[in-house]
Amino acid sequence: MGTTEISAGEAEQGSEQLLSVLEPDQLTGVKRKLPRRQLNASELIVLWSLRLYLLFMIVVVIYQTLTAAQ
Amino acid sequence: MSMLSGSGRVLISHEDIDRAHDRQRVLAAREQRGFSSRLRLLWLLMGPGVLVMLGENDGPSMLSYAATGAKFGISFFIPFIVLTFVMAIVVQEMTVRLGAATHRGHAELIFERFGPFWGWFSAIDLGIGNFLTLITEFIAIRAGLGYFGVPPWAAVLSALAVLYLALMTHRYWTWERATLGAAAFNLVFVPVALLAHPHWSSVGHSLLSWGPLPGGLTKGTLLILLSNIGATITPWMLFFQQSATVDKGLTKGDIRFGRFDTVLGAALASLAAIGTVLATSPLFAHQMNAQNFQAAEFAQALEPLIGRLGASLFALGIVEAGIVAAITISTSSAYAFGEVARKPHSLNLPLTQGKAFYTVLFLCAAGAAAIVLVPGLPLVHVVLVVNVVAVLAMPPALIFLFMLANDKEIMDHLISPRWVNMLTIAIVVLLATAGLLFGISVLAPKVFAVFGGA
Repeated sequence: MGTTEISAGEAEQGSEQLLSVLEPDQLTGVKRKLPRRQLNASELIVLWSLRLYLLFMIVVVIYQTLTAAQ
Repeated sequence: MSMLSGSGRVLISHEDIDRAHDRQRVLAAREQRGFSSRLRLLWLLMGPGVLVMLGENDGPSMLSYAATGAKFGISFFIPFIVLTFVMAIVVQEMTVRLGAATHRGHAELIFERFGPFWGWFSAIDLGIGNFLTLITEFIAIRAGLGYFGVPPWAAVLSALAVLYLALMTHRYWTWERATLGAAAFNLVFVPVALLAHPHWSSVGHSLLSWGPLPGGLTKGTLLILLSNIGATITPWMLFFQQSATVDKGLTKGDIRFGRFDTVLGAALASLAAIGTVLATSPLFAHQMNAQNFQAAEFAQALEPLIGRLGASLFALGIVEAGIVAAITISTSSAYAFGEVARKPHSLNLPLTQGKAFYTVLFLCAAGAAAIVLVPGLPLVHVVLVVNVVAVLAMPPALIFLFMLANDKEIMDHLISPRWVNMLTIAIVVLLATAGLLFGISVLAPKVFAVFGGA
C-alpha cells in the first residue's frame, strides 16, 4: 500500500515535528470520512436535465460537424 | 496528537512525508518578514493556478484563437477573451477554496458527499472528455512539429517522452516546477504578435470600446464564441486545480495566495491568447480563408507576413501548448480515478506505490497518442467537436462545484459569498444559452432567425 505503520510512541519521538506541520485531513492514513449529503428532488432534476442536455448537444455537434464536412 | 487513529497507530505514507517537507518550507517562509520573504512565500505557494490556466491554453485553444484572429480580426474578440478569463477566475477560485478547506480532490469530494454513483459518474465523464481532448493535444503537437518536417511518429513519441520524464521525479514540487517552466513558453505568442506589427491604437480601441460581433449572430460566429469559451473554461480544470491544491498541501491560510496564483495564471494566459489573435490578424487583413487551418498551415500562411522566425515560434508555441496540456489533463484523469477508486493518488508517490495512479496517467496519454497515428482519421473534425463539447459539458460540472462551494457542513465560513454565487449562476446560464442557441441554429435555422440570427 506504500504506507509505513508506526506506533504512537515512534510518532511522538521521530516524526512529531514532521507530522505536526500537516493538518488532520492531510495525513492520508487518518483522513476522516465526510457525512453523505442527500440530493433533494430539485437538485436531482437540475443535475439530470443538464446531463440530458449535454447528451443531446453532443449529437447536435457531431451532426453539424458531419454535415459541414460534406 | 489529533492525527493518531483510535488504535494508537499512525499510517504514514511517502506522500505524507514529502508533503510535510513542502509545508515546513512554507511555514519557515511565513515566519520571515520583509518583501523578499513574501515573494519567496508566493514562489512556494504558486503553481496550480498558473498551471491550470496556461494548461488550458492548449493546442486546440491556441488554434481557436488563431482562427479567431484570422477570420474576424480583433475588434469584438479581444475584450471577449478577457471576459472568458474573468469567468475562469470566478470558477477556478472555488476549487482553491474547496481543496484547501477539505484536503480532498474534486472527484473525491463528489464521491464522499453525494455517493459512489455521482463520484464514478463524474470521474468517467471526465475521463472520456479528457481522452478526447488528449487526442486533440497530440494532433496539435504532430501538426506543430510537422512545420519543421518532423514525422508524426517522432513528434508523438517525443511528446510522450517529455511527459514521462516530468513524472520520473516522483515529487509533486519538482514536477510542478518543471511543468511551470514548460508552460511559461506559452508566452511565445507575445513576440509572435509583436512580429505581426499590430496597430496598437486599434488594439487599445478594441479593449476599451468592444466592437460589435462581426457578421452578427450566425452559426459560424456562435461556433467561434463557443470554441473561445471552451478554450478557457473546461471541466478538467476544476478537477486538476482542486487535486493539485491538495497534492501541494495548501491549507486555509494559503487561500489568499491560491487566489493570486489563479489570477496570475489567468492574466498570463489571456496575454498569450490575445497575442495569438494579434499574431494571426494579418491573415484577416489579407482576407485569407483560414477556417480549417491546422498549426503547420497557420505557420506556413504567416511566414510571408511575419517571417520565418515568427512562423517557427508560432509552431513551437502550438507544440508547447499541446505538451503542457497533455501533462496536466492526463494528470487530472489519474487524480480523479485514484480519488474515486480509493487508490493512492499523488505525484509524490514512487512508481511502485502509485501503480494505479501512474498506469491511468500513462495509458491516457499513450492511448491518445496512438490514435493520432492511425492513418486516415478525420483529425480536423475531432478537434472541432471536442472544443465545443468541452464548453457544453461545463454546466453539469459547475452545478456540483456550486453545491460543494456552498456546502456549509464542509466549508464552514469559507462558503461562497452571494456575489460569487450570482456570477456562477450567470456563467451557467450563459453557457447553457449559448449551447442551446447553437443547437437551434443547427436544427431549426428558421427559428434561429427569430432570435436575430442569420
